[in-house]
Amino acid sequence: MGILDAIQTGLTELLSHKMRSMLTMLGVIFGVAAVIAMVSIGEGAKQEALDQIKQMGIDVVHVKRAVIAGELLEKAEERSPYGLKYSDVNSITLVCPFAKRIVPLREVFADVKVGETPVPIKVVGTTPGYELVSRSQLQEGRFLTQQDVEDNRPVCVLGAAAKRELFGFDNPVRKTVKIGQGIFRVVGLMEPKEIGSSKASAAMRDFNSDIYIPITVSFSNFQIYSQQAVPATITSLRALVGKMNNRPSRENSGVSEIIVQVQDDTATPATASIIRSVLNRQHKGIRDYEILIPAELLRQQQQTQKIFSIVMGAIASISLLVGGIGIMNIMLATVTQRTREIGIRRCIGATRWDIVRQFMLEAMVITCLGGLIGVAMGIGGAHAISIYAGWRTLVSTQAVMLSFGVSAVVGIVFGLYPAVRAAMVDPIEALRYG
Amino acid sequence: MDSNMSLIQVVDLAKTYKIGTVDVPALKGVSFSIENGEFVAIMGPSGSGKSTLMNIIGCLDRPTSGKYILDGTDASKLSDSARAAVRNRKIGFVFQSFNLLPKMSALKNVLLPSMYAGEQKDKKAGLHALESVGLAKRVHHTPMQLSGGEQQRVAIARALINDPPVIFGDEPTGNLDTITGVEIMAIFQRLNTEGKTVVIVTHEPEIAQHCKRVLRFRDGLLESDEQVTEQLIAKPGG
Repeated sequence: MGILDAIQTGLTELLSHKMRSMLTMLGVIFGVAAVIAMVSIGEGAKQEALDQIKQMGIDVVHVKRAVIAGELLEKAEERSPYGLKYSDVNSITLVCPFAKRIVPLREVFADVKVGETPVPIKVVGTTPGYELVSRSQLQEGRFLTQQDVEDNRPVCVLGAAAKRELFGFDNPVRKTVKIGQGIFRVVGLMEPKEIGSSKASAAMRDFNSDIYIPITVSFSNFQIYSQQAVPATITSLRALVGKMNNRPSRENSGVSEIIVQVQDDTATPATASIIRSVLNRQHKGIRDYEILIPAELLRQQQQTQKIFSIVMGAIASISLLVGGIGIMNIMLATVTQRTREIGIRRCIGATRWDIVRQFMLEAMVITCLGGLIGVAMGIGGAHAISIYAGWRTLVSTQAVMLSFGVSAVVGIVFGLYPAVRAAMVDPIEALRYG
Repeated sequence: MDSNMSLIQVVDLAKTYKIGTVDVPALKGVSFSIENGEFVAIMGPSGSGKSTLMNIIGCLDRPTSGKYILDGTDASKLSDSARAAVRNRKIGFVFQSFNLLPKMSALKNVLLPSMYAGEQKDKKAGLHALESVGLAKRVHHTPMQLSGGEQQRVAIARALINDPPVIFGDEPTGNLDTITGVEIMAIFQRLNTEGKTVVIVTHEPEIAQHCKRVLRFRDGLLESDEQVTEQLIAKPGG
């Protein structure tokens, strides 16, 4: 018997019991749909995390000031000021001559005024390198230049959201804004930066609402401690007051973050360890800074996601397994019910193998058909989740192929035993039956 | 194949069933042969061993001892799949309860054995077979839509599709009324005159009268083997 005939026989059999076939298929349909939906959600989350980490750049090392408290804070106060300082930038420059760019960031909150109402905005003092390190695009005008930094020029570049808040739809370039006590000229406007959907990006800062000024201007105009947590002790308060009165030298001025970009993204862990050892010495072992390696985060993220995907997939696979058991159950019932048919077929010349193949193909027709419907439902479900929950989902071809393949295999595995039972039917007995 | 050889040759055939620890002999050593073109009735009361014999010569079962040669092959020693092939190509079965597949049309039922023969016959062959039993207009009906006599004709067409040398009928008229039964016998008689060997099991003497030779069994032994002196000729009905 040709394979097409066998498949046709299987389909005819299924169509003659539409309700039963549908119910049998449900297990596989839901199993496959669940696998695809689960994996799609996992893949989507993974992609989102990857995008964010990639946006930080995988060829960079971030050194950030860390918030510390209690005893550590007191110890740190002995150095003045605690946290990252401009001198750290110099030390890093010294030990990382191979670095492509070293960009310091100095973040302060200041009241920014265009008209009468002040808007509190994060003002980031930085150097020209930031434009390239942050992978930002200019929409209008120019970014900060070396000249701006060296000459202490009161110029600024607006992030897209900051511009919208301050200027609405007007073109801000060549206009002036009041930042803190100083008047700044707007020289450039950044392109809005995609920061992904809300869920995971909450942890990330919104670059779009920043204003960039030359770091030298930031040193001379702003105290970084304006955003510091309230000091914990009287002594530290006193120290703080003292510091505020004595404006620190540039060397001692705090910075919030140092971004070190290297030529080769595989060099980031080594660079990080060099930076760690030099900062450890400079900071006398006080960990008032943290070092982030996006490439490392990426790797960890991938690892976590892999485990997550496996767990999700495994849970969903259980429903496929249950579906398979359902099919076996129905196929066993079918074999009993169709004993006479098996006897007739054997009598007119079907071999045992013909019977095995027929019943296997019937089981596979059920699971493959169920698999197809399940794939459609899974893709639809993933879309529905994207739309209603706002989660990013990604239907991977691999997941579709795999779950469809698994459903075919389920047909083989769970169809085998009933098929063998069918083939073992004695034709003489079978013809006497029913 | 030796042309002098009988189509069916049964030598000292015995079959013993084991029920628990008890041996129940169903056939106790039977010998006979059937030549090409014969029309044989096998008769006997229930328990005489005629069903067992039919199962063995139909290649559905194997003898405990003895020899069964069908068309030159020793069928008592064949494997399961080889016996399936013999059933498929050398034997056409017609049963008391028709044994058609209920979900398939008459035509598909007729074509079914050819699907297992490796080379599927096309529709034309199926239509031709149905035509030869007078069912040209019922090809797309399912067995449920056909009368008993019509179903048995479909079964005969199915038995003919692979052009086997012998047709085995197991009480082929048992589920039919007398008139329809005689009509079925007319078809067998025609097939026989066209050269087919026909062997039927029956317990109705009148049906046996339509055959040319009667083998009577009793208690697992061949009781008598005689030619029918006054063969009844059945009128083909419509």
